[in-house]
Amino acid sequence: MDGVIEDASRFTLPSLPPAWSPPSEPASSISPLVQRRLIPAGAAYLAHIKRTLNNHTFDEYDQQLEEERKRLELLNADGLNGEDDLGVGDEEESPELLLLDAKEWKKQDHYQVLGLSHLRYKATPEQIKIAHRKKVLKHHPDKKAGASHTTNDDAFFKCIQKANEVLTNSERRRQFDSVDPICLSLEEDDPSASDFKGREKDTAFFFKTFAPIFEREARFSKKIPVPMLGENDDSKENVHAFYDFWYNFDSWRSFEYLDKEVNEGSDNRDDKRYTEKKNKSERARRKKDDITRLRNLVDLTLGLDPRIKRIKQEEKEAREAKKKTKGGMSAAEQKAKAEEDKRKAEEEAQRKEEEDKVARAEAKKAKTAAANAAKKARRQQRAADTDEAAPS
Amino acid sequence: MAPNGLIPNGTAEAPIEISAVPSIVGINFGNSYASIAVLTKEGIAECIANEDGERQIACAIAFQGEEMYIGNQARHQLVKNSQNTITGFRNLLGKKFSEVPQAALSVSAPVIQHPSLPDTPAYKVKVLQPAPLPLKTTASNTPAASQVATPRSEPIEVERVLTVSEVTTIFLGSLVQSAEDFLGRKVLGAVISLPSWFDDAQREAVIKAAEDAGVHVLQLLDDAGAVAVCTAAGSEEISSDRTQLIVDLGASSLELSLLSVREGLAYSLATISDSSVGGDDIDSKLIKFFAKEFTKKTKTPLTVAPASDPLDKRAEAKLRLAVEHTKRTLSASPGAATCSVESLKDGLDYTGSINRLRFDMEVRSIYDKVYAKVKELVASAGVDLYDVDEIVYIGGCACLPGLDETLAEGFTENVITPFKAGTVAGGGIGDPTTILARGCALQAQLLVRLAGETEEVRQAFIKGNGTSSVSATSRTIGLLVPQVSAEGGLGGVWVPLILKETPLPCRRTVTVEVDISGSEDRVGFEFWEVSEGVRIEHVKPQKFEDDEDEPQDEEEEELEEVKEKTISKEAFLASLSLSRSNPSKGKTKVQVQAIISSNSAVDLSIREVTKNGLGEAVTVTVGSS
Repeated sequence: MDGVIEDASRFTLPSLPPAWSPPSEPASSISPLVQRRLIPAGAAYLAHIKRTLNNHTFDEYDQQLEEERKRLELLNADGLNGEDDLGVGDEEESPELLLLDAKEWKKQDHYQVLGLSHLRYKATPEQIKIAHRKKVLKHHPDKKAGASHTTNDDAFFKCIQKANEVLTNSERRRQFDSVDPICLSLEEDDPSASDFKGREKDTAFFFKTFAPIFEREARFSKKIPVPMLGENDDSKENVHAFYDFWYNFDSWRSFEYLDKEVNEGSDNRDDKRYTEKKNKSERARRKKDDITRLRNLVDLTLGLDPRIKRIKQEEKEAREAKKKTKGGMSAAEQKAKAEEDKRKAEEEAQRKEEEDKVARAEAKKAKTAAANAAKKARRQQRAADTDEAAPS
Repeated sequence: MAPNGLIPNGTAEAPIEISAVPSIVGINFGNSYASIAVLTKEGIAECIANEDGERQIACAIAFQGEEMYIGNQARHQLVKNSQNTITGFRNLLGKKFSEVPQAALSVSAPVIQHPSLPDTPAYKVKVLQPAPLPLKTTASNTPAASQVATPRSEPIEVERVLTVSEVTTIFLGSLVQSAEDFLGRKVLGAVISLPSWFDDAQREAVIKAAEDAGVHVLQLLDDAGAVAVCTAAGSEEISSDRTQLIVDLGASSLELSLLSVREGLAYSLATISDSSVGGDDIDSKLIKFFAKEFTKKTKTPLTVAPASDPLDKRAEAKLRLAVEHTKRTLSASPGAATCSVESLKDGLDYTGSINRLRFDMEVRSIYDKVYAKVKELVASAGVDLYDVDEIVYIGGCACLPGLDETLAEGFTENVITPFKAGTVAGGGIGDPTTILARGCALQAQLLVRLAGETEEVRQAFIKGNGTSSVSATSRTIGLLVPQVSAEGGLGGVWVPLILKETPLPCRRTVTVEVDISGSEDRVGFEFWEVSEGVRIEHVKPQKFEDDEDEPQDEEEEELEEVKEKTISKEAFLASLSLSRSNPSKGKTKVQVQAIISSNSAVDLSIREVTKNGLGEAVTVTVGSS
């Protein structure tokens, strides 16, 4: 029919004639209504019912819907399709990452491959599982079959599988975590005494620098919980407990991951043994280095800790206050006290020396033990060889 | 690693999961066939198959020996074991024995009066009861002393009397079991669709049977409601305000309803139900056709539909099963479909084929009956075929393309049918066989989510509740841009805003682009109430110019009926105008909003759509009381 526009959004209405004036006498109301019975079904009916029961106008209802939508959005903010991904998120791979070679898997950063570089050693097994699934969904060779025709398309997929293999095995993950490249680079950036020259009084700087370092190192502890650096106004006991713990730090860190590959292909036993031996000594060396590093770190902290100074100061003040209040303290007592202080200082020095000695001895012992073990193994091997050779 | 055997590999219990997808089921419970639908992970309702791989599950239960068959397997028992096969039980639900028509010729187990319950229809079937267990033994493992004779170790043939309700319970239980097997979880609730003519007693009976089967019924939904839910989403081509014709051609009856669907809100304008037309009639026609063919080929007499001879009866049952496949093939592909029966009669096999044209010829009378009924329905609602915007088909027989072709002749060219939209095949949205079940599943999803709502809201979904009654407009309201030189009787360009038969309160918003080059920076509209009609003209069909040797008898030429929609002004409501503020290329956009509250007050407003949002609204209210 002429002049009827069913879908008004697709047409342009003509302009009003210049001489238009609205017709007069509008009708007072529309035609009488009819009564009907709605079919109680569908979302539209639900909306209608809600409006009618609550006496809402359309605008009020729209507003309510909008609020509801926002609330739901907030509720599902960190979920993906309503399923919780435990904060794994979607990390984009950098182009270099995609070019990784699975053969060089020892060099790859497994966390980065699985898109977990924001979590690293903090990632739980569930998160690793989710991250692996996500990556596999994205990079499975079957998905790429049509996209490109290169045969090497599954290289990154292999990297993902390797990363998953390493991170899902707790022993291997521990080995990798020990030498996590990012953490290693962080360790290199650790502050030295020279960094604090002229800033000895800067308490905030001290805590800002050392707190994250101890948090990072804490994960290597076999004992849990690990005391953290804490606050400036910590009590004496807490501070002492902290240093006690860290001077006796028991670390699970190990360096097998950096072993040189034993050439499996070669039949030469001597070759293999040689490599194994070298690896072993290298591991021990690294372990020793790590222990020293941590020790130095704790020493440095202790030396710079404003709390230690404060505690010493407080002790001194307490003593002096005591002296003052008890003015008439006998000379003998004073002497005894001085002696005791001296003795204490000596003891402290001795203890420290001993500790150092113990550490040295331990290192030495470990070395000798390793040497002994190797010797013993060799001897046993020899014995076994002769046993085999001997007619039974 | 834990030693083997300490940690079980799994449990047989279905895992209890908290999932985003509610475990609900939509059941289309027809008299002859049922279907079930569940929600998929994507939130789409999907019709699922039972363990036999059937999406159309026959409402039949058969007993043979110790076995019980349900669904299509039971239908096959109609050939040899018809006395122990129960079909067509849904329509007897909630009825008294005295109300059940006895005259109907039954091919299955007869309906009898229940021996003990008064005035209750029941079925009597022969079953084999498993042999009773051996006598209990005592602690010393010797049989306890007993006076009774040693029981027989063979199954005993007994007669079992089942009420209609019991039969329904068994059947619904099997449907829900299938859904649970599919979901792997317990079903929380179900929505069951029923025809609108079911009375309260029948509905009660359905709910009772379902609860006995362990199914929580969320709602009993009218077929039309299920369709409305399923098609509410709509599509690109069709507006959300439309008049919908639902053609439900089931196996045993024809049900038609005319719905007014306005932005998802639907109500019925008229319904007609006719049990004299149905898919069984199509079957009968087809069977007769094949029987004739058989007689022609083999010279063996075979009279079917109705058959009197027991041999013929069995042949008819066989044919009835076979033509089911033929019908489906015909619906699915344009080619010929075969029908083959082994040992149809006297040990003679039969294989015949029928193409679509021949089939349509055979069942033409049924198509015509449906068409006549559609016309009757539309007339009873006081509208015309031309007012129908969409046709929706339900039921297996409505899949036949011939039916759509026959019906479409009477409607406008723009009418949307599932065949035209291409949504019949491949599990599309308009698939007539699954649309009800899917609609029920969607409705169930809606109802399950109501848990947090108030009691009032939940009560609103129960039939017979007052909240569903509503006032609706009786005339279309729209805007008119008057034109000096306009064609037609309106004198301008007409844009309908609120169609007639729209439930109140309602709101419609349209954004129109207006050309303002001609007028002095003013945009204005008149709002009118109009009445719509259809003008029927009888014109001579156009002659083709090239037929010279046309027969000369002029008077035999029939007048062709030409229909045209008309609109005539009824009442002027108001006019609104505003001065434009953004002159871009002589055009501007204007948002027009009309709200009619339930006391028939009309709020009209127009506002200009500018780059920085909406301009100030100009409003007028008509008939506020």
